[in-house]
Amino acid sequence: MTTDDETRTTPEVEVVAAEATPEVVEEIKSARDANWAKLTGALTVGEVPPEARNINVTGRRQTSPMQGFGKMWQKTYRVSLGTEVTPQEVISEWKAKFPTFWPEGNRFYGPLTGIAPGDVALLNLTMPGRLKLSTGVLVLYADEESFTFMTPEGHMFAAFITFSAYEDKNGGTSAQAQVLLRANDPLFEIGLAVGGHRKEDKFWVHTLAALAANFGVTTEVETQVVCVDKKRQWRNARNLRYNSAIRSGIYMMTTPYRAMKRSGR
Amino acid sequence: MDANALVASVRHSGEVAIVDLAGQLDGSAERTLNAAWEAAGDAPIVALNFTKATYINSTGIALIVGLLGKARVENKKVRAFGLMDHYKEIFSITRLSDFIEVHGDEAGAIGGLAANA
Repeated sequence: MTTDDETRTTPEVEVVAAEATPEVVEEIKSARDANWAKLTGALTVGEVPPEARNINVTGRRQTSPMQGFGKMWQKTYRVSLGTEVTPQEVISEWKAKFPTFWPEGNRFYGPLTGIAPGDVALLNLTMPGRLKLSTGVLVLYADEESFTFMTPEGHMFAAFITFSAYEDKNGGTSAQAQVLLRANDPLFEIGLAVGGHRKEDKFWVHTLAALAANFGVTTEVETQVVCVDKKRQWRNARNLRYNSAIRSGIYMMTTPYRAMKRSGR
Repeated sequence: MDANALVASVRHSGEVAIVDLAGQLDGSAERTLNAAWEAAGDAPIVALNFTKATYINSTGIALIVGLLGKARVENKKVRAFGLMDHYKEIFSITRLSDFIEVHGDEAGAIGGLAANA
């Protein structure tokens, strides 16, 4: 192609862009809008395996960090995946294999169709004292380069958790998990202070290392922690009534009673 | 620079600092948004003008939550106006509207009238 050809074609491209019909603009807009969850009320859970416990999700509302109790933290976990993979490939793989990257003993029960906006997944997490904590997440947003979870009332955190991949400054691809959180109630705030932060950091470092290993990369996971707001929101202390650890504990303790009741029918 | 990158400018009307946002509010907007917050100075009310914001993704929403955290520390109020209906709905789903007064236009945001229109 000659220079003259280039000068002739460039304005034509501009004209095409400028003449995009309202229909085309609307189509692009609605495709982007489809990246967001549509919610009308409380959370509902679709079909899940029988072993997944749903005792703290159905009927709860989603929470942002502004509805939480404790200090607000922004935690960023980042890993470099090199130049062999694109951000879109990373997110596609992350969505498809999401539960497999988690540390052992923690289960994520999402829809078999993958991670899509509006989906609600159940989480069964291993906690100290052999407690199996049952909670969940809402898929708030998903596109080709990122997806975001929002937590329900009673979850350990009132949080946005965003997973993304992007071209880094070295021209390679980096993957990132960023958690913006407050502990949901005073008990979880104490839990964070006495080892919860360390456990949370280990969880996501493990997840990102497993994601990197999936792409044949062994490297260190970078962690950055910022306290955005040191003040606690005491007006939200009553979030304790939904505390998923307390409710999961009661559920575990009353399991024999429920079994007896069932066998007596 | 990306043609869709967020551009922010700050102007003042009485005790309200108005932050005019143009472009996409996504992960790349963090520095711009933080700089605009600094430029708002000591104004007790910050009104975010979304009239020319073309797209907001979930990272953009998280950035706004970060601003709300700062506002709490600095005892400031945050208002918003010029949001498209779709993003008003997103503010409701993400429960940001519990903490940000959403107004239909600039006059409302400055006067603090007709909140969450």
